[in-house]
Amino acid sequence: MSKQESGNKLSGRDFINIGIYTAIYFVIAMALAMTGLIPIFLILLSSTIGIIGGIPFMLFLTKVKKPGMILIMSLIMGILMFVTGMTWMPIPFSILTGIIAELVYWSGGYKSMRSAVLAAGVFPLWSCGNYLPLFLQREQYFAGRTSYGQEYIDAVMKFTPNWMFFALLIATFVCGIIGGLLGKALLKKHFERAGIA
Amino acid sequence: MSEDTWTPRRNKSLLDPRTKLLLIFVEAVLVLATTGGDRLFAFRVVFAILPFLLLLTAKRYMTCIVGLLVLGSIYFLEYTLFPYANGALASILLIIIMIINRFLPAYLTGVYVVGTTTVSEFKAAMDKLHMPDALTIPMCVMFRLFPTIREENASIRAAMKIRGIRFGGGKAGKMLEYRVVPMITCTAKIGEELSASALTRGLGKQKKRTNICHIGFGWADWAFFLLVAATVIYWILGVLA
Repeated sequence: MSKQESGNKLSGRDFINIGIYTAIYFVIAMALAMTGLIPIFLILLSSTIGIIGGIPFMLFLTKVKKPGMILIMSLIMGILMFVTGMTWMPIPFSILTGIIAELVYWSGGYKSMRSAVLAAGVFPLWSCGNYLPLFLQREQYFAGRTSYGQEYIDAVMKFTPNWMFFALLIATFVCGIIGGLLGKALLKKHFERAGIA
Repeated sequence: MSEDTWTPRRNKSLLDPRTKLLLIFVEAVLVLATTGGDRLFAFRVVFAILPFLLLLTAKRYMTCIVGLLVLGSIYFLEYTLFPYANGALASILLIIIMIINRFLPAYLTGVYVVGTTTVSEFKAAMDKLHMPDALTIPMCVMFRLFPTIREENASIRAAMKIRGIRFGGGKAGKMLEYRVVPMITCTAKIGEELSASALTRGLGKQKKRTNICHIGFGWADWAFFLLVAATVIYWILGVLA
């Protein structure tokens, strides 16, 4: 039993795994974020991150056996969003979504495929944290972006009434589930064959 | 770039790793997120110029010159072409100008910091700041992996071009499976090897690890702190007034 308990503590190998998959996830997220310059894609960004990011995330979940790993990954994504200029709001938000995703996967005993797909749905919600300033500090947000041009702002404004945030959360969750299922299929088709799942 | 990531180099860079972290923080808040509005404009200009100077001290002349050229051509566009443009062209131009104006300083700061900080130095700085291993080790691994991912991605892109799997190649729909999946596979494999090599160096032990890098503050660090302090004080005075 004592061995079981010490086995629940995160070791160096777990930290390295977190680093590997966060790096992959971040690169994919950044590649997708480049499309955010077109107004409509800015709104769709969290959903596309859910779908494409689901692939590395499902692979990451096969390495997760102990509590805390998903939370750390989520927190690092929040910090990186802060560094890339999305204000401080993504950090607390990513901690919150990270804890929820952690609980979802934990409830499946860190091996149930069903809760893995659910966790893949919850996890990309961190990217909605990037939109928080857009809704909570609307004037300030656009004051910083006046230089994008009035047309860009009008286009973004038109697509973002306040209820939109919750719609975004739901859309991201659904897309995350799709991404999780996609990741599950690819796990079977590619990663297990390559011996890394 | 990827070779010298692990070897501690003799020639120390001008700034302490902790100062570099502060530099990134300030660039993110002041230049990228444009906190403080117009009142801090002068300071924003200073912090936008700073990365170019730092790149010079790190002997990265090429990056510096390319950066200056990009910035110069952007200003050229802004003052010659932009007043005559209208409609869609104007808004496209405006977006390009804005993005580059805002992101270039931060991007160059990133280039400078990643290029001049070894992973050991980064870890030493984080240890001195008493950050938990749970955050620092994953971040070290990430910084180690970014150049690798870029390299692998370039090779995969070249290989898949032969099969016509690229944007506008008629098989763009297959990109997800044949570009993203191999990238993940390669990186995960490399990561596993990295993991094994790090564990043989005692990363798995719970004991406190020592670090070969000696870091400390020099005159440049204090000068930078003064600059940041001046910015903060000026900003607070502005808020109070």
